[in-house]
Amino acid sequence: MTDGDYDYLIKLLALGDSGVGKTTFLYRYTDNKFNPKFITTVGIDFREKRVVYNSRGANGSPGKTFKVHLQLWDTAGQERFRSLTTAFFRDAMGFLLMFDLTSQQSFLNVRNWMSQLQANAYCENPDIVLIGNKADLSDQREVNERQAKDLADKYGIPYFETSAATGQNVEKAVDTLLDLIMKRMEQCVDKTQASDTANGGSSGKLEPAKPEEKKCAC
Amino acid sequence: MACEFNLNFLKELEQEAVLEVLHRDQMVRKTEEERIRKLKLQLQQLRWKGARNVSHEYQERSCARCQKSLGLLMNRGAVCNGCSHRVCSECRVCLNPCLWKCTVCYAHGDVKVKAGEWFFEERAKKYPGEANILHFLTLGISHLQELGQSKSFNKSVENLFLSLTTHIKKISKSQNDMADRHLLTTGYGQNVERRKQRRSQSDTAINITSRVFILLYTVSNWNQVKPACSFCRGVETHTKILVLSSSLLHCEGSLYSLNSTCTDSGNFGKANITGEIEFAIRYIFKACVLEICIKGCKNLAYGEEKKKKCNPYVKVYLLPDKSPRSKWKTAVKKSTVDPEFNETLKYKIEYSQLESRQLQISVWHAGSLKYRVFLGEVVIPLAAWNFEENSMQLFSWYQLKPKLEKHEEDLIQYGGELLVSARLTVPAQCKNFQFEGMKCSKISNLAELSLFLGSCLTLPDQAEVKRKSPVLKKEACPQWKHLFVFDGVTPAQLQQSCLHLTVWDQSVFSSSDYFLGGAKLGATGKHCHLKTAQWSLSPLSSQRVNKGFGFNI
Repeated sequence: MTDGDYDYLIKLLALGDSGVGKTTFLYRYTDNKFNPKFITTVGIDFREKRVVYNSRGANGSPGKTFKVHLQLWDTAGQERFRSLTTAFFRDAMGFLLMFDLTSQQSFLNVRNWMSQLQANAYCENPDIVLIGNKADLSDQREVNERQAKDLADKYGIPYFETSAATGQNVEKAVDTLLDLIMKRMEQCVDKTQASDTANGGSSGKLEPAKPEEKKCAC
Repeated sequence: MACEFNLNFLKELEQEAVLEVLHRDQMVRKTEEERIRKLKLQLQQLRWKGARNVSHEYQERSCARCQKSLGLLMNRGAVCNGCSHRVCSECRVCLNPCLWKCTVCYAHGDVKVKAGEWFFEERAKKYPGEANILHFLTLGISHLQELGQSKSFNKSVENLFLSLTTHIKKISKSQNDMADRHLLTTGYGQNVERRKQRRSQSDTAINITSRVFILLYTVSNWNQVKPACSFCRGVETHTKILVLSSSLLHCEGSLYSLNSTCTDSGNFGKANITGEIEFAIRYIFKACVLEICIKGCKNLAYGEEKKKKCNPYVKVYLLPDKSPRSKWKTAVKKSTVDPEFNETLKYKIEYSQLESRQLQISVWHAGSLKYRVFLGEVVIPLAAWNFEENSMQLFSWYQLKPKLEKHEEDLIQYGGELLVSARLTVPAQCKNFQFEGMKCSKISNLAELSLFLGSCLTLPDQAEVKRKSPVLKKEACPQWKHLFVFDGVTPAQLQQSCLHLTVWDQSVFSSSDYFLGGAKLGATGKHCHLKTAQWSLSPLSSQRVNKGFGFNI
């Protein structure tokens, strides 16, 4: 699995209350399988997946494709592992913040997880997607979409209702997060490139450039 | 009781499970490191292709990248914003209609992106001064992994544990705000403590694993570790402890320059940096010798501009070692700005060591008396150098550059190892440290020194207990087998104490002994941090003691 033939190593981390389905969600994403049994995660774990990412040009034109190696960290939701799991937050580039659509409490705890992230992630405002899992259990639903959407809007992050059991939106949620990270990466790089050239006494004016946009023979 | 045992048992399994995950993560990291290393090597080779042509650039107009000659009117090339080299239209990558870079500058940026440097830069903004901590952490795990199968597992894990502790101490030293940080005590720590108190279990691997685990997790948590506390537990078991690589011989350059006749402390002058230097580097694998052949320089600046005077010579250091052992100088050529040296300098060094070294080749003007003028330098990180490739061994011209500040900072310093064991005799309330010996296999010229060990135990009330070992003369691998005894230290005090072990070269003319390196064990908080600077066996190096540490696993 881990040969070095990829362009980027991106580390994502799933977090949320115990039992919201982080492990099954990741299992569905990497292996496209579902395991209904509840086995509590011991501390931490991770899964890997190789994906192809298409960077879109500024005007929607197809850009380059990259091989991305995803390392998806799975954390224990249980309180007693908390100090261990939060230690791994700082190594992740993006976060899948999950709650259980059939548990109001897990939704209420999203706020706490957000503050945990703010304290322990690599920066103050990391890339996060909010995920309401177990969307297939509509009869047991306790959190309505409006509520969750409002919360996500408040934080300015995307929201998805997923189901690890059916696979609904699972891939979409991860892809969205990956997209956010890649965008941020480009921005960071542009910033440094811009300052590099500014220091070097550049004459041309700087537009937000896409470093991945390729050669033209000018 | 049975219940408690079960719980403990489960937790041990949990710890194993987590360690297993960390091992897997280590594999991912290794792959990533290897990938980045390859990327950097490719970049270096791309650079190399262009650099070889620098010599022609000023006479005949040519592209710095593909060496194609450029016309005066048609296809005249343009100067790259990144590197200021003139390149032809083919060797450019357009970032947007108004911005382009030459292929090398573009590749440089690309490597940075692909190595994920943006992430580390962003993180460094939030957690300054912490850059390498996880690296050390993973190094530690790999160490653990390698040793897992061997018989001496217990010892090795103990070693790892201590060396990691020392790492953390080193890093924490760079942060002055350590006092604010607290240790998060969790179920794990208590668990181990309880188990230790029962003392019913022998010192099994799992026991130690759990201890290491606490450490690992605390490291990544970036809370201050309480090594002294764990240290006590280790002490109980009479285990041998290997203090990994107290950075012998590599301390701050200024320390050495006081003793050396080198120019760093001498009479300085400044000149504009111009010109180039031609040299070749190769490594002779059979003999473990790094050879640098200095051919000559051209277009050097005048050392004394007004008098149009220049007596150049070349000085070479194998950084981070700035000691006289690492210094080589060529002969001084009189009155020329295009000197030819044709001298070959040799370093006996193991191949594995090269990775952490940088070759610093500087050109100086030797004026009258001790007046020296810096004329430029080239610094080559040997990690990215492909010694196996023949083309890399050819002579080549390099542009001289102004002095870079602190290029050795990002290198891991390695200076040798110190093997110690510690024992706490509880009834008598005293603490003994026995030095079983010291290995310094990778240091050249050690045999010419007269070495002794200093140890200083700093207690919570800032009192210091100092001990000195006998002097061993001219041994390549000195073994002291010396017992340092610190009486009347209670375990409670020990938790707050720290122990400095330092290695010194005894000066013949006594007044100033030569600090070679040291390691710091245990301890929390600021007391010892502040105290280090005041502790001195030698007045010369007192300011530098805590900077001289460098560690390597």
